[in-house]
Amino acid sequence: MVNYLSVDPGHPKFGWWGLLCLAVAVAGCGRNDAQAYRVAKEPAPPEAAAPGLPAGHPDTSSVQPKLQYKAPAGWQEVPPGQIRVASFRVTGTGGKQADVSVVPLPGQAGSDLDNVNRWRGQVGLPAVAAEELPKLAQTVEIARQEAQLYEQAGPVPGSGETNRILAAVLRRGGIAWFFKMTGDDGLVAQQKPVFEEFLKSLNLAAPAGPSDLPPSHPPIGGAGMTPALAPMTGMASPGAAKPNWKVPPGWEEVPGGQFLAAKFVIHGSGAEQAAVNVSSSPGEGGGFLGNVNRWRSQLGLAQLTESEADKLVTPLEVHGGKAMVVDMSGTAPGAGQKARLVGAVIRQADRTWFYKLMGSEPVVEREKAAFTEFVRTAQYAGLKQTKDQ
Amino acid sequence: MNQRQIVDRLIGVLTSLRLTVVCLVLAIVLVFMGTLEQVDLGLYKVQNEFFRGFFIWWTPPHWGMAIPVFPGGYLVGDVLVLNLISSHFKRFTLTADKAGIWMVHFGLILLLFGQFLTDRLSRESTLHLREGQSRNYSESERESELAIIDRTDPMADSVVAVPQRALMRQKEIRQSALPFVVKVRAFYANSKVAERAPNAAGPPAATQGAGKHATVEREPRVTDMEQRDVPSAVVELVAPQGSLGTWLVSEYVNEPQEVACNQRTYQLAMRLRRFYKPFSLQLVEFRHDVYPGTDTPKNFSSRVLLQRPDRGEKREVLIYMNNPLRYGGETFYQASFDKDDHGTVLQVVHNPSWLTPYFSCILVGAGLVWQFLTHLLGFTLKRKTAPAGSAPAPASASAPASAALAFKQTK
Repeated sequence: MVNYLSVDPGHPKFGWWGLLCLAVAVAGCGRNDAQAYRVAKEPAPPEAAAPGLPAGHPDTSSVQPKLQYKAPAGWQEVPPGQIRVASFRVTGTGGKQADVSVVPLPGQAGSDLDNVNRWRGQVGLPAVAAEELPKLAQTVEIARQEAQLYEQAGPVPGSGETNRILAAVLRRGGIAWFFKMTGDDGLVAQQKPVFEEFLKSLNLAAPAGPSDLPPSHPPIGGAGMTPALAPMTGMASPGAAKPNWKVPPGWEEVPGGQFLAAKFVIHGSGAEQAAVNVSSSPGEGGGFLGNVNRWRSQLGLAQLTESEADKLVTPLEVHGGKAMVVDMSGTAPGAGQKARLVGAVIRQADRTWFYKLMGSEPVVEREKAAFTEFVRTAQYAGLKQTKDQ
Repeated sequence: MNQRQIVDRLIGVLTSLRLTVVCLVLAIVLVFMGTLEQVDLGLYKVQNEFFRGFFIWWTPPHWGMAIPVFPGGYLVGDVLVLNLISSHFKRFTLTADKAGIWMVHFGLILLLFGQFLTDRLSRESTLHLREGQSRNYSESERESELAIIDRTDPMADSVVAVPQRALMRQKEIRQSALPFVVKVRAFYANSKVAERAPNAAGPPAATQGAGKHATVEREPRVTDMEQRDVPSAVVELVAPQGSLGTWLVSEYVNEPQEVACNQRTYQLAMRLRRFYKPFSLQLVEFRHDVYPGTDTPKNFSSRVLLQRPDRGEKREVLIYMNNPLRYGGETFYQASFDKDDHGTVLQVVHNPSWLTPYFSCILVGAGLVWQFLTHLLGFTLKRKTAPAGSAPAPASASAPASAALAFKQTK
């Protein structure tokens, strides 16, 4: 190029453009090479970081919930190591042992199916297909949020000893929490109520991160939202004000956690009970079909297509629009107990409200009319304001 | 064919309008293909593979190497710019009546070149601050780095930061600040790390640190805009006296992994890539105001304390929507906030060529105005001097609205 420019000065001169482009291209290079530098030690953040984070580790305090627990009697706390945040050893009669671990992982950390099949492989069981998964799941409460517990038992490949694994996954605030008890078959089976009580008693302090989904929200995407990832555009959605409603008699309001607008417990005869959860999500909140299918999985029912789901809907006139009400019965996976669920989805301009009455069949049957009236008469702050204006 | 003829022919090709049309068609096809591929590959991968390269590469099944299958954005853009410049010099002479066309052309060239500069030199990151917290670095939104930190000095840390892309492409990283060589044994652009069962058949991810009790698996790359990959790597540290072992480095590993070598202790951490600054920002107060009685946002603002010790600078700044802080060659925008309203997320944009689109638009606008006025003036004069009843010449009356039209008129 330089040669021909010198041959004929009448021709266009590209040299300086080429050099400039080259300079810029070179300037962009090297930005991805290793760099060495010295930095002053970072002062501790105003709030304590999540336990176990290294000093050089990115601050995930904003999104990593803090685990608060009390070790059940007979459980010996052991150093958690580098992946766990809590670890216990349970010793039974005859020196039989079980190991309890709590591991938080960012994102979805694999699907439930992948995880269950991995655990099944650890006790010599064959993998299961996706449609069989709901039958293995048992709904448990972890830190005031519903989650799925999976129980597997079988001979450990190689050793021949029969082991049992109790494992529950709770996804909250971009973190997948794995709670797992592994060990001798008999000991783990005996410890199952203690393990469930331990899960129930846990307290996961609210993550302050900018992204979160309520428990009633279906998962978004296949992989997980990752730590410290701010929404790419716009602002985080502010939460909605609690609707103005009249609580039916006999409904006991209990703390619903940070993600529920409200939670009520309704007692029946004996141990029978039902619960009403109210939550809302910006936008469509996963859509009607996604939520109906999620509810169906809680009842061990098969997934529906959109047209099939539409046939289940009973419309209900409510303040500010129409609710889509579904009524389904099934068997809670894992627990093996019959359960009934009445759900209502109310789509508003920028937000969707979800009402769910779920519990034992007689209690739900008794409370359905009150629940419907509760949904029908609830008034929403934003809508009221609009009308007043 | 002698050298001169070859050069003439090359210049003929470079300055031809056919080349312009070919480039524009290729650009249209590229944008169309990129838009379709975005569904499967996601925006960021498509941007990198289709537009930020000279070719689109494809690896045929069972082939060990990729082959170029279509010109990428850089190639099409560069050829188009060269074509525009060379055509301009060949076809136009700088005269008063063509000054507008010159300005329009240079405006367009500046716009294209400015975009190239932006692409090469700009950087976006985020700065997340809780109230009371102070930081002198921002973090990449998507890219990680392996930080090897010598924490021996009580006052300061010596850090060797290896960006994710270096881990991807380099098998070996040598740094004079490190007493060992970092050999990348495996890199997982997106990964899943799990605790390894004691009876697991496969080997653990690494021989030292957390990797002794963990397994790592490759995960599909994330394509959703709102999510990102979580990379992991298995690295071997090799000192002159021999291998120190392998370590699994990942954001999944919460606890510090320490390596002792030459009486110094180093920590390994995979973290979001950091960009340090010569100043710090401390969040004094975050405000999230809503209209009374509603949850409709009215205002988001962050009051930050800017401190730069080397200049003795210490002042408070209020950052709010559409009122960013511009400082040190970077712009800090109010981007998001924590759910509890006690933390803020600032988008940090470093773009040295941010002014080029403004200059380009001014240049193109001024050129069009100039060209329009000169033609209008000529048309008016002609109309005044033309005999009554005769129609004005149509071609010269129309103002050239585009560079293409200008080319046509001068041919």
